[in-house]
Amino acid sequence: MKLPPGRAPRAVRYLVGGTALALVLSACATQDDVVTLNFFQFKPEAVANFNGIIDRFEAENPDIRVVQNHVPDADTAIRTLLVKDKTPDVLTLNGNGRYGELAEACVFADLSDLTVVEQVRPAVGDIIGELGSCSTGEVNAVPFSSNASGILYNRGLFAQYGVEVPTTWDELLAAAQTFEDAGVTPFYTTLKDGWTVSPAFVNLGGALQPEDFFDRLRAEGSDVAAGEVSFSKDYPEAMEKLTTLYSFGQDGAASRDYNAGNAAFGAGESAMYMQGSYAIPAIRASNPDANIGSFPYPATNSPEDTVVVSGVDVAVSVGRDTEHPEEARRFVEFLMSPEVVQQYAQEQSAFSPLTTGAETTDPALAGLAPYFDDNRIIGFIDHQLPASLPLPQYLQELALGGSVEGFLSVMDREWSKIAARTIPNEKD
Amino acid sequence: MTATSQSAGRRVLADPRPDDVKQIHRPDRRQVNWWLTALVAVCAFTILIPLYLTVVTALKTPDQLGGTGFGLPTSARWQNFAEAWTLTSFPRALLNTGLVTVGAVLLTLLTNSMVAYAIARNLHRRFFKGLYLYFIAALFVPFPIIMLPVVKQTAILGLDNQLGLILLYTVYGLSFNIFVYVAYIRSIPLELEEAALTDGATTWTVFWRIIFPLLGPMNATVGILTCLWAWNDFMLPLVILSDPSAQTLPLAQFIFQGQFNTNYPVAFASYLMAMAPLLIVYIFAQRWVISGVMRGSSK
Amino acid sequence: MSTDVSRPARRGTPPPAMRQDRRVPRVFYLMVLPAVALFAVFHTLPLLTGMFFSLTNYAGYGEWSFVGLQNYVNLFGDDRIYNAYGFTFLFAIVSTIAVNIIALAVAIALNGRIRFKTGFRGIFFIPNILSILIVGYVFNYVFSNSVPAIAEALGITSLTTSILASPDTAWIGVVILSVWQAAAFNIIIYLAGLQTIPTELYEAAALDGATPWKQFTSITFPMIGAFFTINMVLSLKNFLQVFDQIISLTAGGPGTSTESISVLIYRGGFQGGEYGYQTANAVIYLFVIIAISFIQLRILQRREASF
Repeated sequence: MKLPPGRAPRAVRYLVGGTALALVLSACATQDDVVTLNFFQFKPEAVANFNGIIDRFEAENPDIRVVQNHVPDADTAIRTLLVKDKTPDVLTLNGNGRYGELAEACVFADLSDLTVVEQVRPAVGDIIGELGSCSTGEVNAVPFSSNASGILYNRGLFAQYGVEVPTTWDELLAAAQTFEDAGVTPFYTTLKDGWTVSPAFVNLGGALQPEDFFDRLRAEGSDVAAGEVSFSKDYPEAMEKLTTLYSFGQDGAASRDYNAGNAAFGAGESAMYMQGSYAIPAIRASNPDANIGSFPYPATNSPEDTVVVSGVDVAVSVGRDTEHPEEARRFVEFLMSPEVVQQYAQEQSAFSPLTTGAETTDPALAGLAPYFDDNRIIGFIDHQLPASLPLPQYLQELALGGSVEGFLSVMDREWSKIAARTIPNEKD
Repeated sequence: MTATSQSAGRRVLADPRPDDVKQIHRPDRRQVNWWLTALVAVCAFTILIPLYLTVVTALKTPDQLGGTGFGLPTSARWQNFAEAWTLTSFPRALLNTGLVTVGAVLLTLLTNSMVAYAIARNLHRRFFKGLYLYFIAALFVPFPIIMLPVVKQTAILGLDNQLGLILLYTVYGLSFNIFVYVAYIRSIPLELEEAALTDGATTWTVFWRIIFPLLGPMNATVGILTCLWAWNDFMLPLVILSDPSAQTLPLAQFIFQGQFNTNYPVAFASYLMAMAPLLIVYIFAQRWVISGVMRGSSK
Repeated sequence: MSTDVSRPARRGTPPPAMRQDRRVPRVFYLMVLPAVALFAVFHTLPLLTGMFFSLTNYAGYGEWSFVGLQNYVNLFGDDRIYNAYGFTFLFAIVSTIAVNIIALAVAIALNGRIRFKTGFRGIFFIPNILSILIVGYVFNYVFSNSVPAIAEALGITSLTTSILASPDTAWIGVVILSVWQAAAFNIIIYLAGLQTIPTELYEAAALDGATPWKQFTSITFPMIGAFFTINMVLSLKNFLQVFDQIISLTAGGPGTSTESISVLIYRGGFQGGEYGYQTANAVIYLFVIIAISFIQLRILQRREASF
């Protein structure tokens, strides 16, 4: 370990020099006529899909090179890129509340002039627009892929026990009871990952909450308890129903995570699984022959009120200050071409958000597709909650045996506290 | 904090023997306490069990998982390592981690010891005493406070890369390293330096020719700790690095922590590959590492 | 210039003669100034910037306005923060005590009359060279799958569900992982301390017929006082900032039961978009850590001095 003392400073010079040289060399690589687009892609399981899309795009557009940047922990990564003033040229994000907050901070370019905007299903366009935008009328993201949340079921087990697909709440409970009596786990639940309870929450809550619940809640400001609407007043039914469904879960659910759930449901260990279209590729990865069906949550006993919760799984945006707006738009238009969208939807068992050329042929989605095509869809209500409210954690506590009253009061309390401490900027 | 340097001094007074004399007290063979040996062996097993689990899991196929996980794989699946190799771009991540670690260790040893020397030899002066406390106080600052501003500054300075990481490890290491170096330097007798200075040597030469070589044990301690820190750190690379091709090994492991589709055997194979280089170096340099840390800390 | 180089103190206070050398050679300033400048730029400046943002509603991006002390006022009404403090302190105190007892016990055993000393010593240091994050993933697997399976096979019903699955027991899992990892380094420090004790002391005590416990309380423990102090202070400081262990093991759950202050600051501040608010939390936290370390040092030093 003893370094020869006289030579020490030279070692530093080599080190610094070497690293600097490497950096200069890597910078030089981009200095030809080709424009390089930095493409931020948040989905780790879709890296290969996007590599394929990029290859095709580059073949057709030799003047543009696209570098896919997939990162660990996309939420933190996009924020550090913003802090560094290195907003990517093109980026994909999940169309959730955090996207909305970034859009409202005017991070993304206005894409309302793109022709693809008119080809987007209006209901899907509304879902992403409601999350937030820089100013009214701006389109800050185009939906690339839509998901749908519902109940997945094992067709084989349903046939074996003669259970019909339930269309009302009572039928759903009866079906679950039939399986339980027969010794089959009705629902495989995965409580180690708190977020896996959220799909049930958004479906039941979204269907059972009063009209404009979140708008009215926001209007109440920081005193929710005294207001007309609150979680305690308007969510007991949804949460009671949620705990009822979770009571049909298997033993040891508390130490099972989402991966275990996909594998177990794929292997036929339960009749139903409270997840959405996004889980299907992972289920099939564990068992390619899994015979999966789907149906929407029958939240009430009137089937005509049943809706499907759908979110924009992948939204495409362009950085507001990109140096290559033209090239970025060309890439977005390519991404949004019906063939690309359709192929991605098939590979990832997603729905195409476009009106044209958007047949959903996946048999696992057949039970949800009609609702999607009839625009009987609502957005994910958890996207209406501030990102700093730890909903998955509270849902996890509830599903692990917490009380409904406790859950509702902590939701009201957190909402009020966050409303009280959120001080809006004065808009100019 | 001054307490430590004082008590270090007290220990030197109490035990004036040079370091090398203070060797492990070797017991007489006849007196070996076998019960105690057995007890220590049992404790040592708790250290090795998680490592064993990592190795056997890394060699299984997904359907061999289940049960306690401690069973041996029915047939070793080396394929897991090949998959982990490509999934994490292992060679590139290893190169990045290696570059950052080696850079951070070298720069830390060369600069931090020098700063500590200047402080240690002037600790009775208010300015240097103030510096000493200034550096050590930073030990207590939680990283989240400085995280976002640092990210911004490194980006502005074009340091959102491996070079920036090397610099940050060196600068942030100052707090703890000065603390340990100063205590050690103050236990080095002045006579050598005085003799050299009377012979006309500059302070600069005195440091590089006399003090730095004498810092051997402490350099070992600081070097080892810096190496472990830079090799295993996750947070700083996560926020500082902008270019995906600069990813380090700990960042590359995160691909297995996505919400979707964790393949445990491949993930564990990857963990093993991330830990292996350091583990292998440690197995060969074990005696040296431990005595380095021990000699450093007894001052 | 080399003639009036100052003669620094050998230990403690310098002899009066040295105080007469008032001039410091410029080279000493040259040695420290680049480091001070870099430290100021990369640590102190960010710290001040961060403290400033705790007075704003900055989200980490976009526009912000100055809100005065409002964030600090709101902190005191936030029960989620109290819960995080409660968990962090429980965890840090239990872990600090556990890690010091275990490390000291193992170090004494390793220093005793046992075989394979070097080998064991080498094994006990291994956890310190592994990444906590990766070790955490492995422990996660052990707690969730292996331990319940073993408990089932042995018929221990209380352990058949993962300890990480219950809000009441998950913190124990975090303690086990943290102690497993942190003991490694503390063992080495204690070993170093034990080897500074002259063996003659024990020989004399043994002649007087002192029991091993008596030898421990009257020789071993007093003689390693400084090592004990430094281990206690650094362990508590590190455990109060616990982060990696929780991210890899429980992610703060179940629910928010293992959400430490660092995790809360990171989650709320960077992922939740309340950067200003959580930075205020971090500033308070900074002062709490400094205060605790200071008090701890004072108490331990007084104890040390009384021997």
